[in-house]
Amino acid sequence: MLALIVRRLLTAIPTLLGIILASFFLMRSAPGGPFDGERPLPPEVQEALRETYGLDKPLWEQAWIYISRLLQGDFGPSLVYRDFTVTELVAQGLPISLTLGGLAILLALLIGVTAGLFAAVKAGKMIDKSIMMLATVATALPTFVTGPALALFFGLWLGLLPVSGRGEGMAWLIMPVVALALPVSGAIAKLTRAGLATVLKQDHIRTARARGLPETKILFKHGLRPALVPVASYLGPAAAGLLTGAVVVETVFGLPGLGRYFVQGALNRDYPLVLGVVTLYAALIILFNLFADLIYGWLDPRMREE
Amino acid sequence: MKSLLHPSHWPLWVVIALIAAALLLPFILPWTYDQIDWDAVRAPAFTGSHLLGTDEIGRDRLARLAAGTRVTIMVAIAAALVSLIVGITWGATAGWVGGKVDEAMMRFVDALYALPFMFIVILLMVIFGRSILLVFVGIGLVEWLTMARVVRGQVMALKQRPFILAAEAAGTKPLTIVIKHILPNIAGVALAYLMLTVPQVVMVESFLSFLGLGVQEPLTSLGILVKEGADDMDVAPLGLLLPGGVLVLILVCLTVEGERLRDTYS
Repeated sequence: MLALIVRRLLTAIPTLLGIILASFFLMRSAPGGPFDGERPLPPEVQEALRETYGLDKPLWEQAWIYISRLLQGDFGPSLVYRDFTVTELVAQGLPISLTLGGLAILLALLIGVTAGLFAAVKAGKMIDKSIMMLATVATALPTFVTGPALALFFGLWLGLLPVSGRGEGMAWLIMPVVALALPVSGAIAKLTRAGLATVLKQDHIRTARARGLPETKILFKHGLRPALVPVASYLGPAAAGLLTGAVVVETVFGLPGLGRYFVQGALNRDYPLVLGVVTLYAALIILFNLFADLIYGWLDPRMREE
Repeated sequence: MKSLLHPSHWPLWVVIALIAAALLLPFILPWTYDQIDWDAVRAPAFTGSHLLGTDEIGRDRLARLAAGTRVTIMVAIAAALVSLIVGITWGATAGWVGGKVDEAMMRFVDALYALPFMFIVILLMVIFGRSILLVFVGIGLVEWLTMARVVRGQVMALKQRPFILAAEAAGTKPLTIVIKHILPNIAGVALAYLMLTVPQVVMVESFLSFLGLGVQEPLTSLGILVKEGADDMDVAPLGLLLPGGVLVLILVCLTVEGERLRDTYS
């Protein structure tokens, strides 16, 4: 287990480096620069700014400087929000994005596993077919439609929930989290249903039945755990999906999370800000994939590596 | 597989009907999608010749809806074809050659799967301007991974079949075998996954357009219409609900149909 973690973290280093370098050169081949702004600065000032931020050096040297600073935990200064470092901006945004994503995945697991379980128990019946149809519909719901639609119904028409921003208490979290969780919960319901259908046909379940164990115990103790293996392997891609979904949800509901900084940064050519957010996103996704692999081994001991 | 005319294929027919409507409406409607009717700004539905009313600057909603659907479907089909070509080439090569080459090619696919891809696409859009051509090439280049995996699996299974071994024994050139004997046999599965790629692509295109990075004005797409509608929903909820509804309908129908097709082939 420890060996697995170490090995995965070691392979993560070249992956991260690749992503950082690719984004660095992509970003820098873009026309325009961070100091274009709406009122163009005089050329001498622009020149001075470029020098201050080291943008006049050769690209490879800049990349090298960026990475060596990154290793010391320094994401560099923001070129557009000039009073802030990228670290400060990210420190503001990350908790919001993580809260949204974390709650969304919990909600999706709760809805998805419950629905999948129900469908598998009633396999072939009307309720099974309806749940699976609903799950398919849910997977096809884009957050940028469900987000505004929820805001319209529950925010504007019913007046139950805040339409945007973070008001008092936790009510502001409900709609963004639901919009994010819906498509993921549909996918999880399908995977749970399919996993259970396979597992319930296996020998150990038949043995458990033959021994006269109550059906609920068979289902929860012997059936569900191995059936969740496909769900665990879906958590990696799901995390990536949630992070992208968060970009939209943060825009729609006016929440100052990482996603908004990413889009704004890309549009403003704020190189360090974009690189910082991409690096963080990539690291999060890699971590989540590792986490999914560990859950994998816990759910099904046969999957554990030597 | 049941005939395509069977009622159980309703999702396919809904999509075809929507596309037909989007293509035919411009010939029937008195308004084009970018024409401004100064006498009817923000008109409610059923005002004069505006069946669904007009938007905040007086453009006919129905005409814009049809235009948006056309662009979204067009981008989706083009991008899905790019992903089909890249995916089949990559997957068939890996599956056919096998060994170290296969190993390396599939590791590459695995590595790409783990990337925060949407962000690379956003970067691409920001960098290389926002031409519609780039939108679908960019999306197509992202969405080929699953196709490559599926095609590789199919090719590897086919490779062991007697008729392929016979063709090899007869001295047929590898490229000829792949094109004449392998590809026709994977067409069904590829079609099923193509059908599932289209909603993915629709989703990505509308997502980009929603963020203002995809299709650009004066062209419009369902994503742009949803965005415009969302900005104006407190005054005119129809502006959000109509394009949002059409988009969700297309996505749901294609997903249902594609999953059924996939299940019949696997």
